[in-house]
Amino acid sequence: MIELQGLTKSYAGTNVVDDVSLTLETGEFGVLIGPSGCGKSTTLKMINRLVPLSGGRIILNGDDVTDLPAEQLRRRIGYAIQSTGLFPHWSVAQNIATVPQLLKWPKSRIDDRVDELMAMFHLDPVEFRHKYPHQLSGGQAQRVGVARALAADPEMLLMDEPFGAVDPLTREVLQAELKRVHQQTGKTIVFVTHDMDEALQLATRIALLNGGRLVQYDRPIEMMVKPADDFVREFIGQADLGLKLLSRRWVHQYQRAPSLEHHATLPGLDHCWQLDDAGRPVALEGARLDDDHGVTPVKAEWTAKPEMSLKEALSRMVWYRVMVLPVVDDAGKLIGEIGMQGIMGIQAEAEGRVS
Amino acid sequence: MASAASHQWVGNRVLMTLLVAAVASVGLLPFASLSPNRLASGQSVMLWQALASWQLAALALIGIALLIAALAKPMGPRASQWLALAATLPLLALDFYGLGDYAHRALVDASPAARVSQGATFWILLLVSALIAIDALQRLRLGLTRRALYGALALAVIGVCFSGELLAPLSIMREFANQEENFVDQLIRHLLLVGGALLPALLVGLPLGLLANRRARLRNGLFSVLNVFQTLPSIAVFGLLIAPLSALGRAVPWLGDLGVSGIGVAPAIIALVLYSLLPIVRNTYSGLAGVSSGALEAARGMGMTPRQILWQVEIPLALPVILSGLRIVTVQAIGLVVVAALIGAGGFGAFIFQGLGQYAIDLVLLGAIPTIVLAVIADFVLQILVGLSRPPGTRQENTA
Amino acid sequence: MNGAIHGARRLRAASAGNGVLGVLIVLLIGLTLGMGQLEPLFRALFPDLGNPLYARDSFLNLMLAHIGLVLMSSLISVTIGVAAGLFVTRPVGREFEPMVSSLAAIGQTFPPAAVLAIAVPLAGFGFAPTIIALSLYGLLPVIQNTIAGLGTVPQTTLEAARGNGMNRWQILRRVELPLAMPVIIAGIRISVIVNIGTATIGSTVGAKSLGTPLIAGLVGNNLAYVIQGALLVGLLAIVTDLLFERLERRYSFGG
Repeated sequence: MIELQGLTKSYAGTNVVDDVSLTLETGEFGVLIGPSGCGKSTTLKMINRLVPLSGGRIILNGDDVTDLPAEQLRRRIGYAIQSTGLFPHWSVAQNIATVPQLLKWPKSRIDDRVDELMAMFHLDPVEFRHKYPHQLSGGQAQRVGVARALAADPEMLLMDEPFGAVDPLTREVLQAELKRVHQQTGKTIVFVTHDMDEALQLATRIALLNGGRLVQYDRPIEMMVKPADDFVREFIGQADLGLKLLSRRWVHQYQRAPSLEHHATLPGLDHCWQLDDAGRPVALEGARLDDDHGVTPVKAEWTAKPEMSLKEALSRMVWYRVMVLPVVDDAGKLIGEIGMQGIMGIQAEAEGRVS
Repeated sequence: MASAASHQWVGNRVLMTLLVAAVASVGLLPFASLSPNRLASGQSVMLWQALASWQLAALALIGIALLIAALAKPMGPRASQWLALAATLPLLALDFYGLGDYAHRALVDASPAARVSQGATFWILLLVSALIAIDALQRLRLGLTRRALYGALALAVIGVCFSGELLAPLSIMREFANQEENFVDQLIRHLLLVGGALLPALLVGLPLGLLANRRARLRNGLFSVLNVFQTLPSIAVFGLLIAPLSALGRAVPWLGDLGVSGIGVAPAIIALVLYSLLPIVRNTYSGLAGVSSGALEAARGMGMTPRQILWQVEIPLALPVILSGLRIVTVQAIGLVVVAALIGAGGFGAFIFQGLGQYAIDLVLLGAIPTIVLAVIADFVLQILVGLSRPPGTRQENTA
Repeated sequence: MNGAIHGARRLRAASAGNGVLGVLIVLLIGLTLGMGQLEPLFRALFPDLGNPLYARDSFLNLMLAHIGLVLMSSLISVTIGVAAGLFVTRPVGREFEPMVSSLAAIGQTFPPAAVLAIAVPLAGFGFAPTIIALSLYGLLPVIQNTIAGLGTVPQTTLEAARGNGMNRWQILRRVELPLAMPVIIAGIRISVIVNIGTATIGSTVGAKSLGTPLIAGLVGNNLAYVIQGALLVGLLAIVTDLLFERLERRYSFGG
């Protein structure tokens, strides 16, 4: 758990961070966001004291960070930055081993840990162990950067726009990977970005800063449906707020039992799934946008998975012109369905069932 | 590329140019000179007068081989370059052998005082072989080991020429024989002066470079002061140090006992240190400044202490630039020690200025040539060191 | 606002530089013309010396001879050096570029004093070997920096120039040379400064220069001569260097 209490930083009489207080529970993914110059990076760097505090306190798991020697504190906190900051004269393995080496772990433990982390980030140890940073692609270098930050199993992870310099495609892959790693490790993460989509994708808590002040600190959904003021509303982006909301909802929250026979009571929406012997959906009868009674063969491209976002599910419905998607498990078995009405209904629901 | 069409019959214009220069030199400039004694000026001997007929034939063969290598047609470019490279070794050998052999023949029935010296064409053929080799090595893009192998072969050829009695009758080699003991002394003295200046220069310059990197305020002033020393002519610095140092040596007897006096080693070393500081400080500074800010922030963020950051991140990454500074300074110091001979510090410069004073050209060359060889060797060795100090990961900075 | 402060500071630094340069120029001219007035001072400093003032030639003559040596050799170096640098960076001469570059690099490891000494057997004693040695040695940094300077012109700039319909000559004159100028001038600066120093030693091979009293003093154990020569040649070098610094600044664009 990390608590910022009245955190303040001033340069030449100007408060670039002004009385910021917030608490992030262990295991949460907190994102600091705001326009450039809002103080988000400075706030992050005060946590590991790369930037000295002008006022306020930071409590990390019960310890005031200013009570600890700076180097000792930093070895307890993983740190990953934009453009990786990898040491160009060290191999991938040496880079990942930086903090364990500073902590004087035995060599065998370091080697095991490096292998473990490389596996976690899908970097083949045989291929990558001895490569140097300049031989890596942007995405690979970024993975090594995050792996290095995690190496000594830190109490928390600080990330300063770590994906700021990679192309959009790689960025999406890295975000998905980071999310998986967060779930696997349960690490507390503080993450700085200026990209709202990235924040909504990753965060469990978002802190929106402007001009050094904390404007709103909330769960992503609440920030969207209950923005504190016009600045928040504008920063989130009103135009596709609906889609942004959908991106924070998951299929498993809204899926229902699959319809396996026709219901004459639902004119226009009457449909049923044809299954094969293994229980996999083969075709959909009815529920097409253009043809109520047509039979559509089920393709893998338009099935939904429980962990998929509603935004993606909607996108598939529009593209394949169907009113309902089959929800399948990893083996391809039909376990439910998600329909257009369910998606449209979310706005009316109570805000209790959020991720 | 556009001009390639008009020169299609020439495959390698660089080689062709060198070949033309060599032929012109053979036709116009003397290969050797024969003089009645050490100080008198000699009579010119052209190449065709100096060489035996089989030597001339061999030279013609080498010339034809090089001509074929320069032309586009009979051979492909790679084979041509190998041919050119291979031809430089016999050319080198023939240049030395021809001169030595001529000296033997010419001095058989001359007075013992008579001397044979090398002429312009000898030097030009030497230079042309070196340039052809450099051009061929560049075009062939050979690796370091194969370049080194060629270098060793060329050195072996020169070594063989110098090992026997072949070159002994040459005027400069007789001068060397006369001065042999003195020569070794001056070589050692020259090296000691260079080393004696570089060590304190490094001890002072490296921390100053670090300071310039850490304290921006100090930097400009420091660099302007050091730049003044680089600008001043060396002989002026040597000269201006004489008066204060001799005064110091007289005023503080124990310093005088240590050898601090107006002339000799003390002003030479002080002046050399002052000269050496700027490149060392500047390269240390810019090497450290070139370390990416991302790497430094990451190092700090991961809990490295300032000392660990300096030794594990900054210095390894700055080392190639720092060593380049050392390379500049070493080569420069080898040259400046020559001038220091004027204030009695010794070294090869002593031969040069003694020779100039006596109008003894061979003595001048006996000082000048080894100095140049020393400088080129030092440059080469330090260049390799710079290459080795470059960690494999820094050959290409990852800026992505 | 920040920029304005920065600019003002730079302006102040520049005018301070002007002051220093002015004082040094006055000192240089004053000492060259009026060294004789200092005779009592040297007599007081070196009471043991019979002749505390170099009198075999006027310091003005020596200064002019020194400047003449450097000017003439630099003229040769710059003309040949820039021409060679241009030649090897044009399509016609590109084949020669690696050779010329490595020649310039290796040549600069040769100590200037040794080059001067080697010129003697080729050209005898006096003015000629000094000019040859100075021009040859001064050539190298000029060539090297001309190649480097032309190499720093960004490819995109050249493409833009071509795209705007400039011909090769116009590109060279209006784009490449102006952009390469600071680097070329830096090369000329190195060349001239080294030559001022080497011309001093030129007196050992019989060329008249400010080194003449200096060397005479060293040989004849007359410290006053040494100081008189060293002072003038040192001032000359510093003033020249500062003048080049200003020239370089004038030709650099924003960088």
